[in-house]
Amino acid sequence: MLALITRRLMTAIPTLLVIILASFFLMRLAPGGPFDGERPLDPETRAALQKAYGLDQPLWEQAWLYLSRLVQGDFGPSLVYRDFTVSELIAQGLPISLTLGGLAIVLALMIGVTAGLFAAVRAGKTADQTIMMAATVATALPTFVTGPALALFFGLWLGLLPVSGTGEGLSWLVMPVVALALPVSGAIAKLTRAGLATVLKQDHIRTARARGLSETKILYKHGLRPALVPVASYLGPAAAGLLTGAVVVETVFGLPGLGRYFVQGALNRDYPLVLGVVTLYAALIILFNLFADLVYGWLDPRMREG
Amino acid sequence: MSLYEIRNMAVTISGQRLVEDVSLTVEAGQCTALIGASGSGKSLTCLTPFGLTRGVAMGSMVLDGIDLGSADAARTREARCRITGFIFQQPLTALTPHLTVGAQLQEATMQAGAARPSVRELVRQLERVGLYRADERLDQFPHRLSGGERQRVMIAAAIAHDPKLLVADEPTSALDASLRAEIMGLLDQLRAEEGLGLLLVSHDLASVEGHADQLVVMDKGRVVERGPASKLLSDAREDYTRRLIAATPRLQEVAPKLSRPGEILLETRGLGVTFDRPGWRRGKIQALADASLIIRQRESLAIVGGSGSGKSTIGRGIAGIGPVTEGKILWRGTMLPERRQRSLDMRRLIQPVFQDPVASLDPQWRVEDIVVEPLRNLRPGLTTAEYQEMARVALTDVDLAEEFLARWPTSLSGGQAQRVAIARAIIASPQLLVLDEATSALDPLVGAGILELLLRLQSENGLSLLFITHDIAAARRLCHRIAVMEDGRIVETGAMQEVIDHPAHPATQKLISAS
Repeated sequence: MLALITRRLMTAIPTLLVIILASFFLMRLAPGGPFDGERPLDPETRAALQKAYGLDQPLWEQAWLYLSRLVQGDFGPSLVYRDFTVSELIAQGLPISLTLGGLAIVLALMIGVTAGLFAAVRAGKTADQTIMMAATVATALPTFVTGPALALFFGLWLGLLPVSGTGEGLSWLVMPVVALALPVSGAIAKLTRAGLATVLKQDHIRTARARGLSETKILYKHGLRPALVPVASYLGPAAAGLLTGAVVVETVFGLPGLGRYFVQGALNRDYPLVLGVVTLYAALIILFNLFADLVYGWLDPRMREG
Repeated sequence: MSLYEIRNMAVTISGQRLVEDVSLTVEAGQCTALIGASGSGKSLTCLTPFGLTRGVAMGSMVLDGIDLGSADAARTREARCRITGFIFQQPLTALTPHLTVGAQLQEATMQAGAARPSVRELVRQLERVGLYRADERLDQFPHRLSGGERQRVMIAAAIAHDPKLLVADEPTSALDASLRAEIMGLLDQLRAEEGLGLLLVSHDLASVEGHADQLVVMDKGRVVERGPASKLLSDAREDYTRRLIAATPRLQEVAPKLSRPGEILLETRGLGVTFDRPGWRRGKIQALADASLIIRQRESLAIVGGSGSGKSTIGRGIAGIGPVTEGKILWRGTMLPERRQRSLDMRRLIQPVFQDPVASLDPQWRVEDIVVEPLRNLRPGLTTAEYQEMARVALTDVDLAEEFLARWPTSLSGGQAQRVAIARAIIASPQLLVLDEATSALDPLVGAGILELLLRLQSENGLSLLFITHDIAAARRLCHRIAVMEDGRIVETGAMQEVIDHPAHPATQKLISAS
């Protein structure tokens, strides 16, 4: 297993490099620049700024410079939030985004797997159909609909939860996490249900039944783990998506997470900020996919053979 | 009183009667074998009383004093987990993939309420079924074991709680001939030592011969004939039983009449195939090494060996559907290039037929399109009517009526599907058919029909056949010569009868004694 991890981390380096370079040059192809504000700067100030941030150098040289700083852990300065480095901005936003995303994954897993199990046990009955319909609705509703709807209902009408900002205690987390988790939990419920439907037809379930085990025990001990393989393969990309998808939720609930910097950085052509966030997201996606692969091996030992 | 007695049992699934009026008994220490073709209702008969199928069983089914017919669900479960052990056909899929051998064995031991077994107890259970290095096995997952080892684990788990009755549903059908004999021997031994009653289900008469005390022959959900095995085999009264016995190939039967071979058609010299190891591991696997053989016109050559012996690899290499990394293949003395460089005409000459007939036909295509497809590639430019006529002729050649042209593969039985596959292979007038376990997945009656068909095609069309199989008795019905393979090498070749009478290599001797 250690060999697998090392190998995957080694292949992650070229992958990251390609992603960084591609975003670097794509961003430069887009028109506009960091200093094209509403009021045009006078040419001299502009040239001075360009020179100060090294933007007057040839593109390749800038890319090289960026990479060599990155290796030392330096994401460079922000071009728009000029008092901060990109590292500082990330350090501010990342904890909020990670908390949101992490809690959302846990919640989605809890709701999704439970609902899927319940539906699979009652396959074909009303409970199954109701759950699956609810799962479809949950998957289909985008967070920019559920987020404001939640805020309107629980925040404004009932006044139970704060509508915006991080406030006191942890109550501010509830609505963003629920909004983030809902579509994912729907997908997980469907995958769990489908996985179990396949697994429960297999021969080893009949063997377990022949041993006189109770249906509950058959489900937990012999059925659930192989049935969760599709969930694991979905969860790698989904976990990364929850962090990036948080952009909308962070905006709706006015939370200073990473997503907001990402969007603003892109709009303002804050090249180092966007690159920093992209690099971070890419690394997270690679990590989550590796984690998903390790989970596969636990769920079904046959996959450890490579 | 018998250990297990079924009287006038019927099984229905959603109102449909699939098994009717079945009676059988199993005595302690004895083996009752239920024989029948697929779909004859034999698995339903033995599993439904225990609640292991979707069906409902009605009638009298008395197991050790418990009437399963009138028992409620809890009592059925108890009869199932305390008194009975089960062995199923596919030892890989019948074991839970994510639980170690030890965990499954432990669960099996505790199923009748026993205390948690010690590691030493588990080791003893594995050793009882002839598994060695048992302490290592306990920590392994089922997929790391070979087919024979898995079936032994399955048996160890089935008898771990000291049941009185063992129900074995096709326990050896997925294994090759020599493993088959070993597993049957193990079951015999357990019956003798523990006084277990065995209810054995099989489609293959040959595999139960010499093991079963009682035979029950089923066809279309009914018992055709039953009685002591020795009596039934020598003196069957029912026509169906007689046909079944006649269809089962035996080494002792009268030698078949075969056509006279002509000149050399195909020759391989030092054929070798190496694969890269799958996955991330380094290294190579030598699947085939230094294989030299010849096939004459109108001759059938049997390639016989256990699973993993390389017999399919050589067939695929010759047919041009698998890789060849060393050596050469000569066709009438001229070098045959690798698949991509073979001309259309060369490709036409060698056609493959595979083991699983239903899986080898595209379910989205009609039989007509399946049969005609080789022609569209190999002889393009004919009119639709001409293609259709040739498909009709090909179907007639394999004894299928013209109306099959419009059928879909899913509506065909195994035998019909294999005939369609053979029609597809012969439609472009090949000279050599490569048949990879072409009769192994079929019931004995159906398989015997396919063997007869091949014999007839050979004498009528002068076909040469490369018959790849693990069943030496089936090969004897068809083949002039035999090549025995083991570990990727041809270890013995010769005339069929000669090799059977005087096997020189241990691998050959093992294959013959197992048949």
